[in-house]
Amino acid sequence: MVTTGSAPDFDERQFEALYHEHFGFLVAVAVQKFHVPESDAETLAHEVFLSYLKDPLHVRDLNKWLLGAICHASRYYWRVNKRLSPEAAPEFERIDPATINILESLPNQLAAREALECLSPRYQEILRLRFFEGLSVPELAARLGVKKKYAAKLLTKCLRRAETLYERKGRRRLRR
Amino acid sequence: MSDPRDEERKVVTFERARRRPDPARVQEFAETARRLQRERQESVDVVARALRETPREEWPRLATRPELRNSGALNRMEAEVSARLEKEPQEALLISDLAASIAETLPPDSYPPVVLAQLRAHAWKDRGQALAYIGRYPAALEALDRAEQQLSYGSLTHDRAIVRYVRALTLQKVNRFEESRELLAECAAVFRDHGDDRRYLYCGIGEGIQLYREREFERAYDTFLPLIEVARALADPLSEARIQNNLGYCAVEQGDFRMANIHLSQAMARFIDAGKRMEAIRTERASGRLLVGKGAITDGLQRLRDARRSFLMHAMVEEAGLCGLDIVEALLAQSPDEAKSLAAEVAGEFTQSGFNERALTALAWLRESLDRNRATALSVRQVQSYIASLASNPALEFTAP
Repeated sequence: MVTTGSAPDFDERQFEALYHEHFGFLVAVAVQKFHVPESDAETLAHEVFLSYLKDPLHVRDLNKWLLGAICHASRYYWRVNKRLSPEAAPEFERIDPATINILESLPNQLAAREALECLSPRYQEILRLRFFEGLSVPELAARLGVKKKYAAKLLTKCLRRAETLYERKGRRRLRR
Repeated sequence: MSDPRDEERKVVTFERARRRPDPARVQEFAETARRLQRERQESVDVVARALRETPREEWPRLATRPELRNSGALNRMEAEVSARLEKEPQEALLISDLAASIAETLPPDSYPPVVLAQLRAHAWKDRGQALAYIGRYPAALEALDRAEQQLSYGSLTHDRAIVRYVRALTLQKVNRFEESRELLAECAAVFRDHGDDRRYLYCGIGEGIQLYREREFERAYDTFLPLIEVARALADPLSEARIQNNLGYCAVEQGDFRMANIHLSQAMARFIDAGKRMEAIRTERASGRLLVGKGAITDGLQRLRDARRSFLMHAMVEEAGLCGLDIVEALLAQSPDEAKSLAAEVAGEFTQSGFNERALTALAWLRESLDRNRATALSVRQVQSYIASLASNPALEFTAP
């Protein structure tokens, strides 16, 4: 078991378990608290893990150490990025339309992907075409070879089915 | 009552936070971890043996030995430097030079860049620390610059704070107090955030010492006081002893002799708990001198007499003699006869232990001055400092002040 407060005496599987156990949390902190882009956040988390290896036996509280490290790494990330490209500074002030409500929309996108996984392949395909490829209902109808009215009906049915299955999946998780 | 939907949302949010790491990175981490662990284990005796079996002047040549060119050996060198700083700073410097030269010449692909940066930064940090110990402050600051230059990764904030802590202490030595204080505050925050309570404590002690040097005794006292609990939580009696000692000094400077006595007694008790009996006795002597200097003659003399008795019990004749001269100085005005008799006692102890003849000459001169009532506090101190200097310069002739 790796979820201990103190630094463990490692074997190889524990190294991997440690990485898996904390990776998601570290990336989530960097992304959600400090708005570090996801791919950079993953790199920061990786570097935090590597830097931890210098002196693991002197880390008294692993969770606290990792959290402190990712928070400081995220702050440093923005300090360095702003300093490296002065012309980019105004960019930080300007709101990129693509990132408006990203904190709200990103979880929704992730949830949508998860919901899609609950559906049959055909329903998955319909929702993917509509919401990920951005096809309009007439375009979707043309792609599916059905009438526009039926395509709209089919779309509503897919969404309801996805919602039902997604909620059921959440309840199962709660029971566990 | 909470809404089950909220709970569900929490679970979903938590699940969303889960991400799968890149398997290649997991593998790199596991391989690096395994390798560093193996190198640490393999280097336990290698460095100590190499240093022991090689004449000191040939230590730089060790940089080419393959068994020393790895992270484990560099970690051991870091420990060797740390162990020698107080007693053998020149050796500490040589070892840190060796470590820096190895770290700098490791191939760029020998470790992941973050790990390599740490190895190099710590080697340079050690060199900076060793240079500071021998008083080469500008060179020390340059070495610390080199250390910081290595740490260009966000994930290395903790390492950066370790380097900056050393820099802060070095800056104190060259009276750059303001910069030092800023750095200590910054480092303390980093250590606190990482749960590194020990280094957080050291930053607090460093900050308190600096305030004391700046004669900000009240602020220094307030800085030291909460650190006692931190030291206790860490079960670190040595740090607690030092904090209590410093609190005692602050209290003396503020004229609060009652609190000073409490803190200094606590300091001695903690030094004894930590197995540092000599430190405890030296603390008693220093606090006695301080109290006498501040006019608390009775308290001060009591501490000096206790310290002298303890030194004699441990057959530490020189320190007992020097402490005796502290008492002679304090007694000059109020009890000259006692001062004379104590000076004779010290001379007798020195003679009996076969002490350096030159010390006896200086003591004879002092006794003569005391007999003629011409001795002053300054002349006692000059004799005392001359006797103390014989330890490092035994051939130094005594010249009557």
